[in-house]
Amino acid sequence: MSRNIIEVNDLTKKYDELVAVDSISFDVKEGEIFSLVGPNGAGKTTTVEILECLRKPTSGNARVLGHDVKNEDEKIKKKIGVMPQDFNTFERLTAEENIKLMGDLYGSDNVKEIMRKVGVDKFKNKKFDDLSGGMKTKVGIGMTLISNADLLFLDEPTTGLDPHARRETWNLIKDLKKMGKTVFLTTHYMEEVEYLSDRAGILINGKIEVIDSIENLIEEHGGGIKVKVLEDGEAVDIINDRADEVLRGEDTWTGIFDNKKEARQALIKLFQLDAKVEVEEAGMDEVFLRLTGGKIDEGGELV
Amino acid sequence: MKRAFSLFLSLTKNWLRSKSGVFFSILFPIMLLLIFSTVFGGQEAAEYTLHVQNDDLVDGNETELSEEFIEALDSSESLNVKEVDNITEDRQDRSFGSYRALRIEEGFHEQAKNKSIELRMKVIQNTTQYMDEQGEEINLDDFTAESAEIVLMLSEDDQAGPMVKGTVYGVINSFNSRMLGLEEGDTTVDITEESHKERGLHPVDYYLPGFIAAFIMSNGIIGVTSNISEYKRNGVLKRLTATPLKKRDWILANVGQQTVLAFGLTAVMILVAVLIFDAQAYPGPYAIGLIFMGAVAFCSVGIVLGGLIKDVEAASGAGNAIAFPMMFLSGAFIPIETMPDYLQTVARFLPLYYFHQGLREIMILQNPSEALLAYLIIGIFAMIFIVLAIKTTRWKDI
Ligand SMILES: Nc1ncnc2c1ncn2[C@@H]1O[C@H](COP(=O)(O)OP(=O)(O)OP(=O)(O)O)[C@@H](O)[C@H]1O
Ligand SMILES: [Mg+2]
Repeated sequence: MSRNIIEVNDLTKKYDELVAVDSISFDVKEGEIFSLVGPNGAGKTTTVEILECLRKPTSGNARVLGHDVKNEDEKIKKKIGVMPQDFNTFERLTAEENIKLMGDLYGSDNVKEIMRKVGVDKFKNKKFDDLSGGMKTKVGIGMTLISNADLLFLDEPTTGLDPHARRETWNLIKDLKKMGKTVFLTTHYMEEVEYLSDRAGILINGKIEVIDSIENLIEEHGGGIKVKVLEDGEAVDIINDRADEVLRGEDTWTGIFDNKKEARQALIKLFQLDAKVEVEEAGMDEVFLRLTGGKIDEGGELV
Repeated sequence: MKRAFSLFLSLTKNWLRSKSGVFFSILFPIMLLLIFSTVFGGQEAAEYTLHVQNDDLVDGNETELSEEFIEALDSSESLNVKEVDNITEDRQDRSFGSYRALRIEEGFHEQAKNKSIELRMKVIQNTTQYMDEQGEEINLDDFTAESAEIVLMLSEDDQAGPMVKGTVYGVINSFNSRMLGLEEGDTTVDITEESHKERGLHPVDYYLPGFIAAFIMSNGIIGVTSNISEYKRNGVLKRLTATPLKKRDWILANVGQQTVLAFGLTAVMILVAVLIFDAQAYPGPYAIGLIFMGAVAFCSVGIVLGGLIKDVEAASGAGNAIAFPMMFLSGAFIPIETMPDYLQTVARFLPLYYFHQGLREIMILQNPSEALLAYLIIGIFAMIFIVLAIKTTRWKDI
């Protein structure tokens, strides 16, 4: 396998009494998209910002590109690209001016090329303040990319974006991987983890519950069949009676069946009722549910 | 250095494109300067103070005629007489407003009296000569006398000079006819006019350095404080700390931006003051040096406050709470001589006091040597706060 680009050992961060990150250990490998996923307040940003040398760890250690985060800030900062959570930049500078500023800070001048790559050139002369959320994210990724760094940190890059902009951002992140970048992503969208990452860690209350490749996670903790019922009534009773676990959506009920036979029988019943159903293979949602007994809602809260 | 410069450009552009930023940093100061110079500039024109030194004393008392003459001057509508012991000394104590003075020379009473006798004799002689044409010659002994002397001192470019002079001549005329009963055209008093080199300074000449200093101060203490805490709140600072930019680049860029703003403000203020109020400002290298140090000093205070105070409202509140009292107490707007003694003492503890006084000495009075204390105090102040800015700006765990 490729080499470790980030190594985290027993890392702990306390804010006074609050243990935000609780002796976590993990590695990130060169060239992969790694996701740290967890609900609000899990400690994602704290972890990422320790790696970016923006916060001091309380104990434990971490190496980024071979450098110690505790005392090699300068070396690390030159070699990484960062997009902080709720990222912001000079509001009255244009998209291009903001990217150019970053270029100057990193000593690179391929502004045009970067703008083209991330699709900023169409609105490069608009002030940052006047951009939509999706456009801002593109500028943010452009500002990260112009570091010419091989390791990029994106802290919740798609939070708050509409589905279309989120899709676009996903494609952009996939492109980053194609450019050979290693991407460290945080998110609370399971769909995003599944679609983008090679490996993921689930972080809850400052602790890593599990960490593995997406395939392994799904194979070990997911698997099974998801049957989603789109209407109330008898169909829901069938799901409640037969499924191993039930996830409630706004007006949908999703039954997860570990056993394919069970799932088939339930489906036959449902079809006899002529109920509206969707069938999917279970993914990260179920992995998360199985491991934590909960789910993360759209706002990032654990429910 | 290149990073700091690039950030400086970005900060400046971002500021220039903010309407409220530009308004409060440049337009608002200019509006105040216009208002102050117009409103308080008009007051002086109603009555001109004439400083009078009366040298015509007998046993330490003013002679009758000199006293009458002074009274006549004082009762004229446009003059307000202020008697002083010594014009030269008195003049040194005040720097602003044109100094207008008049000295009544020794012997005024005697000479005025004698001269009037001579003039009246002449009248009589003329009459007798006319009689002589018809008869015998009447010969009167020639009686000649020196004129009484006064010296009128006005500054060369005192715009009210001709008007003051006219009033003084008018007073002499009526003095001659009323007091001494002379005919029109005859005079007992010789006026020597002296013009002193001292420039006539207008109220705007006081306000100009005061406003420049006060607003460089407030741009630093109010503007920088709230900018920095805002950059902290909205995440721009975090975005910057996540790059190879160093803390000293950040401080340098902010100080650079404030310095440029300070020079810009100074230039515009001087331009307005000169064009509209005929102010006399000479911004040379000494002024530039002091303005630079002031901008650095007060910007550093802003960096310290913005760095220490988390909440944006609290930060700008703190900036206002420091800057506004300092503006008024330091005498930047109102000369501290007009304040109670204890407030004058307070003023001398405020850096802004030295800043505007120093600037006035250099830029208006062209006395850079008088500004040494200002250089020293603002210089030390700047150094202390630069160090504090470096110490209190957090580049981690913000
Ligand atoms: N500067 C700070 N001072 C004190 N407590 C903090 C600080 N930053 C974070 N915390 C606390 O540490 C915990 C972890 O916060 P963190 O921001 O790392 O979570 P997160 O996983 O990024 O959450 P989110 O999804 O909301 O961004 C939270 O309880 C938070 O309140
Ligand atoms: Mg976070």
